[in-house]
Amino acid sequence: MTCNTDLLRDYAFDELPAADRPALQRHISECAGCAAELDQLRLTTAALRILPDQEPPQRIAFVSDKVFAPSRFWNLAPWFGFASAAVMAATLIFTVTHRPVEIRTLVQTASAQPIDDIVKKAVAETRAQTRAEDAQLFNARLEASEAKHDKEHRYLVEALAVMQQSLNTNVLMASSATSQTGAGQ
Amino acid sequence: MIFRAVEDADLITRVRKGDVEAFNHLVSRWEKRVFNYLLRLTGSPDDSLDLSQDAFLKAFQNIRKLDDNARFGPWLFRIAHNEAYSHFRKKRPDTDPEDAERMEREPARTVAPELTLAVTAALDRLSPEQREAVVLKVYQGFKFEEMAEILAIPVSTIKSRLYTALDLLKVELAPTNSRGIQ
Repeated sequence: MTCNTDLLRDYAFDELPAADRPALQRHISECAGCAAELDQLRLTTAALRILPDQEPPQRIAFVSDKVFAPSRFWNLAPWFGFASAAVMAATLIFTVTHRPVEIRTLVQTASAQPIDDIVKKAVAETRAQTRAEDAQLFNARLEASEAKHDKEHRYLVEALAVMQQSLNTNVLMASSATSQTGAGQ
Repeated sequence: MIFRAVEDADLITRVRKGDVEAFNHLVSRWEKRVFNYLLRLTGSPDDSLDLSQDAFLKAFQNIRKLDDNARFGPWLFRIAHNEAYSHFRKKRPDTDPEDAERMEREPARTVAPELTLAVTAALDRLSPEQREAVVLKVYQGFKFEEMAEILAIPVSTIKSRLYTALDLLKVELAPTNSRGIQ
């Protein structure tokens, strides 16, 4: 057997067919060059394997579909939808068929009376009520204002009295001091 | 690995019947691999998490399209690959330098910093296609046929990308190996 680098490499990676191995192994034991080449190849792969595998920083996991699977209750959801729609439709039909009769009755009743009189009466009543309320409010405000002014007036009078008294006291003290000074001289 | 495939096939059957918890179980078995595959392609933990979530969501939505339950792994990684490349097309103009820095710093916590820096730097020098071939083969342990399924390219192209990448890496990492292992 002659030297064959490719066969040697296949052998090093355990990829050589079993039938070819004995012949190559015999050749390696006899050929120093191929033996050295094989050693160098094995040293190179051993050096590469120095780099260790790393742990993934985070585990990968998938959530079970059962979590998102719709329950029986939610399977009935469309039927609840239909039921609520049917109730709303029935209510709407009932309203449409019954309410206009009442409206018509009211309109007919109202139209039988003279509208102007009713409106005038309502306006007059409202106006009178408003005037009464305004007068009441005005009187209340007036009373409150007068009371406030009276109070302020009282305070002013009291303040003036205090000031007058104070002034009188000062005058008296000044005159007494003057007389004492005159008597001393 | 065989037991894993059998358990995956059982979970997939349950997912097809609408069992979301079975899918969560499937996610917990694959999320670390998918996240790390995307992390080595994008260099961003945040983007990788988002893309992982998107990939698993698409897998859940399209689980009925999976022909063979035993091929769930390559099928899932095909989705993740598509998500990553769709993301690259959208985001190519602006890459986040903070994420790249964080990507370089974080592995250094558990192994010798000079080794991790050398390996990271060597991987960074590869083309995206070469790097993805290395990631799928060396880090994820997929067979060439599965890689061809994930990347939708022939096995010969996969081998070409992988072996060219290893030739480059060998040159880069040989001094590191001799220092680190002796």
